[in-house]
Amino acid sequence: MSAPTSAEVVVIGSGICGSLAAWKLATRGKQVLILEAGPRIDRGRIVAAFRNSPRKSDWMSPYPFSAWAPQPEYKPKSNGYLVQAGPYPYPAEYIRVVGGTTWHWSALAWRLVPNDVRIKSLYGVGVDWPVTYDELDPWYQEAEEQLGVAGLPDTGSPRKHPFPLPPVAEPWAMQRIRERLAPTYTVVGNTVARNSRSYGGRPACVGNNSCQPICPVNAQYLGINAVEAAKAAGVKVVPNAVVYRIEHDAKGRITAVDYYDPDKTSHRVSGKQFILAANGIESPKLLLLSSSSKYPNGLANSSGMVGRNLMDHPSNSLTFYADEEMWLGRGPQSPDSINTLRDGAFRSQHAAYRLDFTNISQVLGVTEALIEEGVYGPAFDQQLRWRAARQLSVKTLLEVLPNPDNRITLSSDKDAMGIPKPEAHYSIDAYTRRGAQAAREDFAKIAALLGGTGLRYTPKGEFSNNQHITGTLGMGDDPTRFVTDRFGRAHDHENLFCCGTGVMPTSATMNSTLTGVALALRTADHMAPLKAQAASTDTTREAVSS
Amino acid sequence: MQIQRGHYLAIAGDCVACHTAPGGKPYAGGLPVTTPIGPIFSTNITPSKKDGIGNYTLQQFSDAVRRGIRADGKRLYPAMPYTSYAQLTNADLDALYAYFMHGVQPVNTKPPRTHLPFPFNIRLSMAAWNALFLDHKPFVPDPKESPQWNRGAYLVRGLTHCGTCHTPRNLMMAEEPSHFLAGASLGTWFAPNITSDPTSGIGGWSEQAIVDYLKTGRAPGKAQAAGPMAEAVDNSFRYLTTDDLAAIATYLKTVPARRDPQDSKPVDTWGAAYADLASIRGKPLPKDPDDMSGAQLYDAYCSTCHQDRGQGSFDGGLPPLFHNTATGRSNTDNLVMAILDGVHLYGHGSTMQMPSFAGELTDRQVATLGAYVTQHFGNPSAKVSVDQVRRLRAGGAPSHLVLIAQVAVIVVLVIIALIIAFIILAIVRRRRRSTASTTHG
Amino acid sequence: MTGELAMTEPDQGPANPARRRVLAGFLTAYTASLVPWALAQPVAAPEHGAFMALSALLAGRRSLDAGLAARLFDALSAMYPHFTADARALLAQINQQHIDPAQLQSTLDGAHSPLAPLPRRIMRAWCLGLVGEGEATKCVAYENALNAVIVADVLKPPTYAYGEYGSWAKPPLAEGVNAS
Repeated sequence: MSAPTSAEVVVIGSGICGSLAAWKLATRGKQVLILEAGPRIDRGRIVAAFRNSPRKSDWMSPYPFSAWAPQPEYKPKSNGYLVQAGPYPYPAEYIRVVGGTTWHWSALAWRLVPNDVRIKSLYGVGVDWPVTYDELDPWYQEAEEQLGVAGLPDTGSPRKHPFPLPPVAEPWAMQRIRERLAPTYTVVGNTVARNSRSYGGRPACVGNNSCQPICPVNAQYLGINAVEAAKAAGVKVVPNAVVYRIEHDAKGRITAVDYYDPDKTSHRVSGKQFILAANGIESPKLLLLSSSSKYPNGLANSSGMVGRNLMDHPSNSLTFYADEEMWLGRGPQSPDSINTLRDGAFRSQHAAYRLDFTNISQVLGVTEALIEEGVYGPAFDQQLRWRAARQLSVKTLLEVLPNPDNRITLSSDKDAMGIPKPEAHYSIDAYTRRGAQAAREDFAKIAALLGGTGLRYTPKGEFSNNQHITGTLGMGDDPTRFVTDRFGRAHDHENLFCCGTGVMPTSATMNSTLTGVALALRTADHMAPLKAQAASTDTTREAVSS
Repeated sequence: MQIQRGHYLAIAGDCVACHTAPGGKPYAGGLPVTTPIGPIFSTNITPSKKDGIGNYTLQQFSDAVRRGIRADGKRLYPAMPYTSYAQLTNADLDALYAYFMHGVQPVNTKPPRTHLPFPFNIRLSMAAWNALFLDHKPFVPDPKESPQWNRGAYLVRGLTHCGTCHTPRNLMMAEEPSHFLAGASLGTWFAPNITSDPTSGIGGWSEQAIVDYLKTGRAPGKAQAAGPMAEAVDNSFRYLTTDDLAAIATYLKTVPARRDPQDSKPVDTWGAAYADLASIRGKPLPKDPDDMSGAQLYDAYCSTCHQDRGQGSFDGGLPPLFHNTATGRSNTDNLVMAILDGVHLYGHGSTMQMPSFAGELTDRQVATLGAYVTQHFGNPSAKVSVDQVRRLRAGGAPSHLVLIAQVAVIVVLVIIALIIAFIILAIVRRRRRSTASTTHG
Repeated sequence: MTGELAMTEPDQGPANPARRRVLAGFLTAYTASLVPWALAQPVAAPEHGAFMALSALLAGRRSLDAGLAARLFDALSAMYPHFTADARALLAQINQQHIDPAQLQSTLDGAHSPLAPLPRRIMRAWCLGLVGEGEATKCVAYENALNAVIVADVLKPPTYAYGEYGSWAKPPLAEGVNAS
């Protein structure tokens, strides 16, 4: 079985954004080929691998590592794939397999709030997006219908049509938290790509409490569902195809991509249009790798911005014991939030944030703590139950402002295929740190309202990462400042489009997947417009350029 | 009032199941039934004068429903369960007629015509079969039994046409009266024994358990509806009155017991909680998925819902696999079908109670898994083979299986009718008489 | 805590009851007084005796799964060559010095005892199903590790469904802390 050597549209990366863009183009009659660096995997075997894993809190551990398509791993020790240039570590995780990183995600599918795309105008920080929230609405809706998003109305992100699914049943613990924090804080059920009834040929959630590392029953939408939809629409998918170069002609049009198979035999695929959808780290890496005499700084990089403005959502947190039994671990992992701190005049001073209440079973962490403390004998049993029933944790998702010094570059270190590894240059600025400080005050109030004892704050200045890789392919109208235009098209290459969260010019405070998918669907629409839409998108484009 | 009653009877008869295409208007027909001999399309039974039965007189309607004869005199294929509907009383037939004429929106769409190849297109051959197997007489109550029993008998033998699936058929594909409701294969799904036998049938079930099962598709600790039975619950039984369901239960508990000699104890009492964690924890999975052991397959694909020891969830909402007819029957077709097709039944706003594993598991994996499940949670003497899985996988979509089985009826009877016809033709030629009247057997 | 003894039968214990060993035979009066409920705990083989005695003292459970015990012993002794001898030495120390299990870890740590890692290794094995450290760590148990068993009336181990859609919205089944 030989792989195709040409296609109308070649998509690099089979994650949720690339696959849904491919799906949409195929439904518009395009002949589409997806090249995926990693292998195919099977859900049931990942479930079994997790249960056999010696590192249950390491959500990468059940996923296979492929020497030809390495992915960053940090446990039991760092594999050094994502080289850390500092000053602050950026330990991003992603999975290089068919379906991509959303094999494990919390399925949080919040839209942005309208002001998120205008923070420069409103608050004098960051940049404005080249699109308004209202412009994004139809693609948000389409993304929500494709993913099967369940949510409450009126949670700060206006919408013209209802969610396709009613909100997911709220776990008991979250009901108690919501009741105990009212009216000081308004706790709301998260907007999630998780089935509250069977939808899209997938069953309703049955509360496995393992949304990460793997939903065992396919109740939450994963990139692999997007791959299957794409395949059903006629898209061809080639796994284990490690793209290492993008070729162009004298006019700067992209002509082909070259990939290695696991034996390092090189293959070439030509096409008319190209989508780069290999996430916010691998995509800029590939553009930088494809430098040529015409483009010595890499493709799409006349602005010098490829790989720059790397953003994510750092978290600080508070863990404590409530004064009543909550028993986290019943139902989905991430059910509720406080989302009223995502926007406000304070954004001119410090980072906005969403506060996220975990519902992950506390049993594992409590067990490790008790053994570490040397709690033995009958007290172990009693203490395990007491702590597992009462331990709660709340964390921030903090906005990060675009900063060109935070960036992905090519390392001098190479992977097993001889391809330079990506290198992360990262720091967390005062704006974000001030946000974290403001959140500590919320943490204290929350703990007090829940009768909290045994308060354990993240040490000041320490943050965990959320793998919401954004910004490295930022979109904007000015080709001297941005990599991609408002439709995700590379300013420098007429037939190269970027899909994924990398095109987001700011990170806001919401998990980035839904916005990435909405933008990807919008890009696909732009690449192959319906007849009726063609006129209106062209009008928009003219209005902008005039 | 009569229209309302007719509506209820139409639900009890589950007319909508066959006479509505997926996503189509109710009763407008067009459900394509893929059969080995070509698709059969259900007809439009809305009161459309152009495309439906709007021009039918009461007598013509009665002939179609109870005798299998269309208004144009042509015979229906017994995919239409008129042999059961023949039991309908005149009053109920009138109510049904009133409903279909005045309670159903006419839909002016013509479903695709059924074009079966020769010899299956000779509808007249049904006449001979009807003469042999069709009992034209409406239901006559048994004065020795209670009104409730009589109501149940009337429904079970008539409108709810339980025997269509649950009664095995004779060589000529007619229901075998001596084995009424004793269980029959539909080609893929197996319609189990629902006689009063406590071992093979439902004699050990309380009447309440039967009512619960028909109302919800579940009898906790015993069985859950899947495949075509789940459709019958969804489309029909869940809407019946508790009185009618109780009547059905009362009657079923008196249907003469038939026992499958292979069932050595009640099919819902086999098995116990079991786990083989020692053989799987800390052991890598084999590279070839076909080499996974039963315990590994159970771990990867089943235990998530049915739990590590097959015990189901706390409240039993995700059912245990032991004390479950899905694993306790010597016929394992339904176990394999549930794995391949999943379980689709309305409940809690959802229709997918169990996802399909047809796309995830190979024939060999299903066979290995099925053997593990019956060995530990069900009847250990029950077998699941790779060939069986392959055959069932090739069987087509579950909602059409009843009708596929019924097509087999047509195949056989057409052949028989042709043989009869040839014999008669030979006799007729000898007697030098015209052939026109001879096939009218 | 004073209820009748509830002993589990071994999953893979010796078939011949005459050869069955129980924990009482490996305990002194002092250690027996710490775990009176575990005296009839089966012990699969003599070399398991010290491990089982330590397991009973550390875990404080009325009963331990004998089949899992054998697997944990095998994994621990394969991972740590001196495991059996260390276990005997630690048990002897507890017996001689009458160490309360609640004080065991701090006593060993305070004395910089070479046996200090042993209690944690045994507890990690029983409670997390893990044997070994770092890259060498092996998972031997998950569903029947004690941390799953202790909360099994309220929680399912992650990846196991809690129940039908929405069942988690009800209050948990547990009624107060159950000191088993």
